[in-house]
Amino acid sequence: MSTGLGLESLVDQTISVITNDGRNIVGVLRGFDQATNLILDESHERVYSTKEGVQQLVLGLYIIRGDNISVVGELDEDLDNNLDMSKLRAHPLKPVVH
Amino acid sequence: MSGRKETVLDLAKFVDKGVQVKLTGGRQVVGTLKGYDQLLNLVLDEAVEHLRDADDPLKTTDQKRSLGLIVCRGTAVMLVAPTDGTDEISNPFVQPDGA
Amino acid sequence: MLPLSLLKTAQGHPMLVELKNGETYNGHLVNCDTWMNIHLREVICTSKDGDRFWRMPECYIRGNTIKYLRVPDEVIDKVQEETKSRADRKPPGVGGRGRGRGRDESAAGRQAKGIGRGMEDAGAKGRGKGGPGAKSGGKGGGRGRG
Repeated sequence: MSTGLGLESLVDQTISVITNDGRNIVGVLRGFDQATNLILDESHERVYSTKEGVQQLVLGLYIIRGDNISVVGELDEDLDNNLDMSKLRAHPLKPVVH
Repeated sequence: MSGRKETVLDLAKFVDKGVQVKLTGGRQVVGTLKGYDQLLNLVLDEAVEHLRDADDPLKTTDQKRSLGLIVCRGTAVMLVAPTDGTDEISNPFVQPDGA
Repeated sequence: MLPLSLLKTAQGHPMLVELKNGETYNGHLVNCDTWMNIHLREVICTSKDGDRFWRMPECYIRGNTIKYLRVPDEVIDKVQEETKSRADRKPPGVGGRGRGRGRDESAAGRQAKGIGRGMEDAGAKGRGKGGPGAKSGGKGGGRGRG
């Protein structure tokens, strides 16, 4: 119930999702359900590395299963557009250990 | 939405045929489907488990273990596919990079 | 829009499914249910590290083992059309129920079913009952088959 209310305000906005396997996927939220399954449109994955800049892989239209989602976050597009991905360095996330 | 009652896959057509079953946890079993129920509990005859590499459980090896007549618990069944027509092939994807 | 509606709309389309164990399955979606269990046809299975491949004519995948599904972009446009046309179609769908049995009491039980199911299902049902229905009561016969 409460998860539903929280995500409703993000529909048609760009969001950032971190999955249990440590991936960061950015896309436009088109829909969701009680299980936090998400529809992400025009999505891409951001691959972080300490050796080179952030790589962006185009993924397209995705349905992500709620079981596999760790974090859903709003994305400030203006702020995001001003990021120079090629200069960003970060450790890749480790997968969630159950 | 349809498909709530009837299962997505009609297992009737696999009865007395070879099926490959993958179970949660990674075990892989091949056998002749003798029976099933709506919970996806399966009865497999002459079942053979395809053993995996002890160091790398993702890799299946050529080693096998005969199990005979078994019941696969439905909750543990991850994937069911017919063995008929299932073959290992070379990389069918044209893109050179696996990204 | 619900993820499962999108998936349902993706029936017949090619898609990529990654399982929690890292294996990926490329195939055409035949069917899916409310648990996200899916039935694929013409499948290529890729091992987690992407170095081994298997071809299988079809496979059934339990929904809770899925990590994500990648569906063709155009499918999302079809969902909107479909949900719209389904809403339009709903009221006349009630008409289909009278078919088969002449009496309303007996029909009431199956009424709920008739509404909930897809058009194909309702059609198939109507056909099956068509013979006896036409004999017992003329009332049901005329409707629904439009």
